[in-house]
Amino acid sequence: MDDILSSILSPGTFNQMLRSATPVALAALGGAMTEHAGIMNIGMDGMILMGAFFGVWGSYMFQSAGMGILMVLAMGVLVGLFFALFTVQFRSDEFIIGTALNTFALGLTSFLSRSIFGTAGTKGNPALPTIHIPLLDRVPFLGAVFNDNSLFIYLTWLLVLAAWVFVYRTPYGFWLRAAGEKPETLRTAGIQPEKMKWLASILCGILCGLAGAHLSLGQLQGTFAENMANSRGYIAFACVIFSAANPSKAYLAALMFGFFDAIGLRLQDYISSDLTNIIPYAITVIMMVYVVVRGQQRRRQGHRVKAT
Amino acid sequence: MKKKLLALLLSSAMVMSLAACGGGGAASSGTPAASKPANSGAPAAPEANALQVTLVVADTFGDRSFYDSSKEGVDKLAADKGVSVKTIECNGENHTTQMRNAADGSKAGDVVVCVGWEFYDVETVAPDYPDVKWIWIDNATSAPVPNVLNITYAQNEGSFLAGYIAAALSKTYVVGAVGGEDAATINDFIVGFQQGAEYYASETGALISVVKNYANSYTDPAVGKECAIALNDQGADVIFQIASATGDGVFEAAKEKGFYAIGVDSDQKYIDPEVIVCSMKKEVGSSIYDAVSALLDGDSSRWGTTWVADMSTGYVGIGYGEEGSTQQVPDEVKSAVEELAGKIASGEIKVETTR
Repeated sequence: MDDILSSILSPGTFNQMLRSATPVALAALGGAMTEHAGIMNIGMDGMILMGAFFGVWGSYMFQSAGMGILMVLAMGVLVGLFFALFTVQFRSDEFIIGTALNTFALGLTSFLSRSIFGTAGTKGNPALPTIHIPLLDRVPFLGAVFNDNSLFIYLTWLLVLAAWVFVYRTPYGFWLRAAGEKPETLRTAGIQPEKMKWLASILCGILCGLAGAHLSLGQLQGTFAENMANSRGYIAFACVIFSAANPSKAYLAALMFGFFDAIGLRLQDYISSDLTNIIPYAITVIMMVYVVVRGQQRRRQGHRVKAT
Repeated sequence: MKKKLLALLLSSAMVMSLAACGGGGAASSGTPAASKPANSGAPAAPEANALQVTLVVADTFGDRSFYDSSKEGVDKLAADKGVSVKTIECNGENHTTQMRNAADGSKAGDVVVCVGWEFYDVETVAPDYPDVKWIWIDNATSAPVPNVLNITYAQNEGSFLAGYIAAALSKTYVVGAVGGEDAATINDFIVGFQQGAEYYASETGALISVVKNYANSYTDPAVGKECAIALNDQGADVIFQIASATGDGVFEAAKEKGFYAIGVDSDQKYIDPEVIVCSMKKEVGSSIYDAVSALLDGDSSRWGTTWVADMSTGYVGIGYGEEGSTQQVPDEVKSAVEELAGKIASGEIKVETTR
């Protein structure tokens, strides 16, 4: 038992938690934007995959990870525009467009990857730097967890803060939420809800793209493999729903997934990997039940308030 | 509100289906990935009426190991023997349909090669196409089918050697293995690997421990990297990857954390000669090449049987990369490995198996 605990509570576990959570968290930030704007976005997995590919492609073409990120930003805008074109402009079914985007991303990245790199794929392109914080390595435990991580692990903290401020403390964020909750009211106030939806969709494209770029250029050293997003977009979607699209709560939810990923891997010595593999999905189901139950409770309380 | 409920329902339905997929391993992905049949670039212009070989792989090319090895085999057939080649990638789904597609596109006497244990329906499909010669790679039909040649590989025997090398190079006396999933074929590698490591330990009187985990994905290098780091945290300093493209992450972890890795299926040394000490080779391509070459020479006696490519056939073994690449395995270990290979081939050493 001591063995289990010491392997679960080692710095390695928490370090992996940070690494595994970051791509999911970045995508969840993007998903929070579209969720607030009232777009159900299940296309995040595809957006992540495209980010992963275009990051590596840019890094390979210009031999610079920074250019990879620039390329991902451009791609994120394009994908966001593309998504909004169908969901906002043409009012297509969001679910279908999201699914189509995922399938399209898998096909496109596989096709481009083979055309550019051959079937062998690519690895070892310029990657993002890791950040060394002086003095932190002298702190036991925390140093091993928080020091020497890839750039985006730290940038994500800033982005979470920025997203939170944007959503809850700026007029744009207010309009964004209004576009989802009371679009007619917003229209009466003279602002087109569609515009906010376009903006949310573009932000989501960018943030999901960065999630993918972190996966291929941060967590990995410039490596792309077909279908490497591996359902992280769906996990991110679960985080968005669970956190009611609150960026900071979404980050915590992503951390929780990261944590269970990490202990799942370390528990394989004791229980079957088939069981540890379902932990994240089991957590998702529990989360969903929690969200529904909480929603019902609130509604009941709401009625009581009205009654008195 | 209605919309939100719908979103919840759909998303929970989706995660449920994901969970189901996770359990089944490489069964299918959440979104229907379009399977894309593609004509492969056969270098030699095939003669009209030439024998056609259709290669159907269970997942996709680009793994730099198992499936790519089979592709090399048929490409070589095209170059040397002038056969025409078609390839179909199943992307992890619709295996039975794609088998039928391959057979429908074949004329009498043509060959369809199915690469992957997923094609178990060959048992029922092949009798519907009696004129087509089938080859099933990596598994065997429960009963012989006259027009099916099963080729299975004694990966446990090759992995035994890999385990021996791993133990010989380990300084911590902990060696590790990252598997793609907890499945019979993958575990066949692992039991051999473990036995080989223990064999080395028994020779030297040291105690060795073998640690392992499973990535539960063949396409996620990030998870592969985490798996390898977790094993390295447990002390493993030589790690064997048995996880296709997921294994790329194992190599990266090796480079970053400074330990050794062992490649799988193809000779993967070239991917990173500094950390990949050797590879456990499963020469899928050569075995397909030889089987079809024999057929071209008029020998179809192998069909209807299961051909076990074991150590004595030379289709499993250890590769140390191209000449001139950095070598971490000392010569005396290499010669010991050669000797062991002889003992395994002659049956003097019996390697355990999960099949």
